[in-house]
Amino acid sequence: MSFFDKLRSLFTGVAPDGGASPSAMIPCEEALSVVHEFLDGELGGVSHEQVKAHFDACQRCYPHLHLEEVFREVIRRAGTGQRAPAGLKVKLMELLAEADA
Amino acid sequence: MIERKEQADSAASFEAEALTHLDAVYRFALRLSGAPDQAEDLVQETFLRAYKSWGQYTQGTAGKSWLFTICRNVFLRGRERHQRHDEIVTETVGRDGPGLNPVNPVWVSVLGVDPEGDFFESIVDERIMQAIDDLPEEYRMAVVLSDLEGLPYADIAEMMEVPVGTVKSRIFRGRRQLQNVLYDYAVEMGYIAARAGTDE
Repeated sequence: MSFFDKLRSLFTGVAPDGGASPSAMIPCEEALSVVHEFLDGELGGVSHEQVKAHFDACQRCYPHLHLEEVFREVIRRAGTGQRAPAGLKVKLMELLAEADA
Repeated sequence: MIERKEQADSAASFEAEALTHLDAVYRFALRLSGAPDQAEDLVQETFLRAYKSWGQYTQGTAGKSWLFTICRNVFLRGRERHQRHDEIVTETVGRDGPGLNPVNPVWVSVLGVDPEGDFFESIVDERIMQAIDDLPEEYRMAVVLSDLEGLPYADIAEMMEVPVGTVKSRIFRGRRQLQNVLYDYAVEMGYIAARAGTDE
């Protein structure tokens, strides 16, 4: 589902998964305060489903979650493309062989 | 003869289990030291120490975290000798966590002009890595271990010898600082239109 489809579903008041009603949701403040733990899979006091239900249904909070997700993806992509120099493994193997000698 | 076979087995298992993390350890070393030649030295020292302690490592456990721990320790010991003048971050973390405004004020500005966050795509990887390198050391280490290498908070806490709450604080503050720096850069480069009231 695209960002705009998601927003449209939020404006129509229908959660994409047909899930929790807004009245059963945790408050915005609470959902936003755990956005990092939610994305990191490290929630403590509140369940993943509760937080997800909030972001799925709240048109105010969802865009913040989306930006956090985009930010993380960009950082991860930039940071994990780097490889060790080609000769480093060879140097290491020589070093380890010397340690064995 | 037996000794030679054990040595060969040990080298083979080390290559299979430890050297497989070479790229990740190199990236971590590069972020710590800030220079490719220093990173290479750091990686060599890390793997040499790991190899010598290979008998104490429980195979199949968190090898990457173990190597990062050695790498960090080698780096910190080296830095004591050649002080790198980084900003030292001290913070206190209460029971309530990092104590940041849960909504990044920069996001409020971004949502007004670029709700999909497309401006991030215009920023080249080198600029992103430079922004990470410019973070204060404790934030940088926490962000790299969490966001680039995907380590859980508990592993990072053990590695950095601080409580999990402190790790969370460092990750959150590091990310916030990065977001703000990259946003400012994007505004400066014209990748995104500036909006009033972006100061935190």
